[in-house]
Amino acid sequence: MKKNTLQKTLALFLAGAMTLGLAACGGGSDKAADASPAKEEEPAKEETAPEQDSTEAEAETETEAEAPAADGAAGMDGWEAFAENVTLKVPVYDRGVEGVPTVNDNYWTGWIQENFGDKYNVTVEFVPITRTDVMTDYALLAASESLPTILMEYDYPKLSQWANDGYLTTYSLDDFAQVAPDYYAQMVENNQLGYTELNGEVYFALAERPFYNCGYTWQNWVRMDWLREVGYDHVPENREEFLDAMKKIQDAGIAEHPMGGAQIPDRGAHQNYGYRTYPQDELEWAMYGDSVISSLGWEPNKRLLKVENENYNLGITNPEYYITDDETNKAAFINGDVYQFGGYISANMDWLTAFYEQNPDAELAVIPIYGPDEGLGTVPAWRADNPFGMIIGFSAFATEDELKAAWMYMEWMTQEDVLFTMQWGVEGENYNLGDDGLPVSVTDYKGDYTQGFNNSKDYWCVTTEARNAGTIEQIIKSSTPNDLPQDFSDAIIENYNSRLALIDQGYAVNDAIFGVVLEAETEYLGTLGELYKEYADQLIMCAPEEFDALYDELSQKYLDAGYQAVLDDRKAAYEAGNSTKLPK
Amino acid sequence: MGKNRAPAPQMQSNVTWKNAMKRDWQLYLLLLIPVALVIIFCYAAYPGLRMVFMDYKPAKGYDGSKWVGMATFAKVFEDADFHRALRNSLVFNFLDLLVGFPMPIILALILNELRYPRFKKVTQTILYLPHFLSWVIIGSVAYQIFRPSTGMINIVLQNMGLIKEGIPFLTEKWHWAVTYLLIGVWQGMGWGTIIYLAAMTSISGELYEAAMIDGAGRWKRMWHITLPGIKGTVVTLLIMNLGRIMGSNFERLDVFANTQVREFQYQLAIYIYEKGLGNAQFSMSTAVGLFQSLVGLLLVIAADRFAKLLGEDGLI
Repeated sequence: MKKNTLQKTLALFLAGAMTLGLAACGGGSDKAADASPAKEEEPAKEETAPEQDSTEAEAETETEAEAPAADGAAGMDGWEAFAENVTLKVPVYDRGVEGVPTVNDNYWTGWIQENFGDKYNVTVEFVPITRTDVMTDYALLAASESLPTILMEYDYPKLSQWANDGYLTTYSLDDFAQVAPDYYAQMVENNQLGYTELNGEVYFALAERPFYNCGYTWQNWVRMDWLREVGYDHVPENREEFLDAMKKIQDAGIAEHPMGGAQIPDRGAHQNYGYRTYPQDELEWAMYGDSVISSLGWEPNKRLLKVENENYNLGITNPEYYITDDETNKAAFINGDVYQFGGYISANMDWLTAFYEQNPDAELAVIPIYGPDEGLGTVPAWRADNPFGMIIGFSAFATEDELKAAWMYMEWMTQEDVLFTMQWGVEGENYNLGDDGLPVSVTDYKGDYTQGFNNSKDYWCVTTEARNAGTIEQIIKSSTPNDLPQDFSDAIIENYNSRLALIDQGYAVNDAIFGVVLEAETEYLGTLGELYKEYADQLIMCAPEEFDALYDELSQKYLDAGYQAVLDDRKAAYEAGNSTKLPK
Repeated sequence: MGKNRAPAPQMQSNVTWKNAMKRDWQLYLLLLIPVALVIIFCYAAYPGLRMVFMDYKPAKGYDGSKWVGMATFAKVFEDADFHRALRNSLVFNFLDLLVGFPMPIILALILNELRYPRFKKVTQTILYLPHFLSWVIIGSVAYQIFRPSTGMINIVLQNMGLIKEGIPFLTEKWHWAVTYLLIGVWQGMGWGTIIYLAAMTSISGELYEAAMIDGAGRWKRMWHITLPGIKGTVVTLLIMNLGRIMGSNFERLDVFANTQVREFQYQLAIYIYEKGLGNAQFSMSTAVGLFQSLVGLLLVIAADRFAKLLGEDGLI
C-alpha cells in the first residue's frame, strides 16, 4: 500500500509540475499580448494631446501616481526616481576587439548603473550588437520582442527600415524637451530637428557630431621609409608618382604586393566622391550618391573600379585580397608587408602601437590632402559625415516609463561632468591633466577602469561623436596617440585645415537623406550588398581589355536585381521634395 | 522483423481502453510528460508557420501583420536567386549523397576486417574526430591549406616543381565544388561508420565460421555475409539521408564562402539567411524553410515506398 501511495504522489506531483510548466508557457504569450495594447495607447495619447502644456502635465502627475518621473519641472532637477523599477535596455556595439572589457558588463556599465540607474530606480541593461551584423541582430531581437529601448545606428536607411518594419515608436518632441531639455537644446543648436521626422512623423533623436564636415577622424598611413628607400621625400602626389613608387618598391623587393588589400565589406564599399564631376548634378547625387548601396553602373564607380582593376593587374594589390579579411590585412601591415593602412584616429591605436613594436625603425606618414589628380581624374572630395552622430529611435515595445527612462539616460549622458568621466575615465588612472589643464589619456592603461573601445565611445555615442577637449587642434592632439615614436597630430591638423579650405568648392559631400521610407532600399539593401561584392571582385580581377564589356553586363544584372527599383524610388522621393538638397 | 507479423498471444486478451486506463493510470500519467514535451518542443511552434501567408513584421506581431495569401510563395518562386539556390542545393546535396553515402560503408567494412582490437579502436577514433570539429575551424584551416598562392599545399607543390601556378582549390567554382564535397566526406565518414560497425557486430559469428569452413575468402565473406547483414541499416540510413536532399547546412557553406565561388556556393541556407534574416523578411525565409521540409518529407515517403516495393522494411 505504501508503495502505491508513493507512486500516486509521485505521479501527481510530476503531472502537476508539467501542468504548471504548460501554464507558464501560455503565460508568456499572454504577457506579450498585454504589452501590445499598451504600446498602441501611446501614440493615441500623443495625438489627442499634441500640445500638452506644462500645467496639463502637472495635472497628470497627480492622477498618475505611478509615473512621477520628469513630468513636473523640466530637466534633471524635476526628475524623481520611478516608483517601480524600470528596465532600460541600451544597445552597445560588440566589435570583437581584443583588449577591451566585456561590453555589457564592466566597470563603466557598473558606473552608469550606480550613478544613473540606482538614483532613478532604473536597471540599465546593455544589449551587445555585433558591429558587423547590426541588422540581423536587431531583426532577431525584434522577432523575440526583446528590442532594446533605444535603437541606434549611423546610417539613415537602416533607421527608416526599422521605422517601416514597425520597430520604432513615434514620440512627441515637446515631451522629449520636457524630460531632456539639454539634449533637445543641443539638437536645436545643431539644426537637426529637420532630421527627426520620417513620413511626417517624429521618430528620431540625433546625437551631436562636432566638426562633421571635414572627416578628419579617418586617416591613412603609408610607409615613408619605403618611399625614401626608392627615392621619394614625400608621399606620392598623383597617380603617376604612385605607380612609379609602387613599381620601384616591388622591383627593390621590399614588398611583393605593396597595397595589400582585404575583402570588400558588406556595405558602403568603394566610395567614389573623388571620381565625381563637380559641381554635382543634384538629381544624380540624390539617386546614386549614396555610400551604403554601392552605385554599380554609375560613371564614377566605373572609373574607380577601373583603377582598382589596374592596381590588381599590376600586382600592386594582393591577388588573394578577396579571401583576406580585414584583420589579416591589418596584421600584414603590422608585420611590415604592406605599404598602406587606414583607420579611425584615437588616443590608443593598437595597430600603430603594434606596428612600431614590430618595426621599431620604420617611419610612417599620414597621406596629405592633395589637389586634383589628372592621372586618376579625381578631385579631393570626400564623404562629409552626416550633420549628426547616432540616429536614435525608440522601441515600439517600450512602455511610457521605459521611454522616459531612455530620454533621461540621454539627458544624463549629455551632462558635462558625466560625459567627461565617460570619455576620459578616472583621473590618475585613465588620464592625467596636462600643463594646459586639458586631460591627456594614459594610452597603455590596463586595470579595473579600462575603458571600452575608442575611449568607451560606444556608450557615450548616444549624445556625441567626439571627445570634447577645446579647439579642434586640441581635440585632434588629444585623440592621436602620444606615446609612439612619431607624432601625427600636426599632419592630421593640416589635413583638417586643407579640407576646411575645400568645403567651399562643394567637395565635402553629404549624402542625400530621405524623409520618406524607400521601400526598395529596405527590400534590396542586403541583396545588393552581396551582389556588389561578387561583381566588383569579378571586375577588379578581370583582364583590363575585358573590363568595359564586363562592366556593362554586370551593371545591367545589378539594375535588374533591384538597383533600378532603388533608383526609381529615390528619384520619385527627390522629385516629390522629400529629400535633402545639395548646399547652394 | 517484418516477417514475424503474427500478434503476440497476450495481446489477444480483451482489455478495453477503460480497463487499461484504470489499471495503469499512473503509467499513463507519467507518459503525459514526454508526450507534453514532444508537443511543446516539436509542434507548439507550428501555429507560427502561418506567417508564410502574411507579410509578417516582427514588431507588429501576428495580430498586426497583414494576410497576403500565397503572395510570399509566388514571390519566392519567381525569384531568380531562389532558382539558383534551389538548383545548387539539389545538385550539391545529391553529389554529397553520391560521394558521401558509400564512404562510411566502405570504411566500416575495412575497419571490420581489422584483427588487432587496439589498432582498430585507435583508427576508428581518429577517423571520427573530424566530426567533432566545428565547420568554422575546418573552414579556416582549409583556407590556410588551400589558398591559391600562399596555401600550404600549393607552396609545397610549387617548390617541388610539380605545378607552375597555384591550384585555386577554393577560389574557382569547379575546384571549389570538388574540395567542398571531399572535405564534407572527410568530416562525416568516420562518424557514419559507427552505426554500420554496430550493425556488423550483430551478425552472428557462426555464419562467418560456416563460410570459412566452406572455403569462402575475405571478399566472399564481406559480399555474402557482412553486406547482406547490414542491408537493413543501409536502406534505413539512405531513406533518412534522402530527406536531407533539400536541406542545406549554413555553417558549412558560410565558412567556404568567397565571391569567386558564389555561383555554386549560393544555396538555400545562404538564400534564407541573406534575403530572409538579413533583410528581416521572416515570411520569406519561413516559406522557403517550409518548402524545404515538405519536399524533404515527400522524398522520404517516396523512398520508403520504393524500399518496401523492393522488399525491405522501410521506416514507416
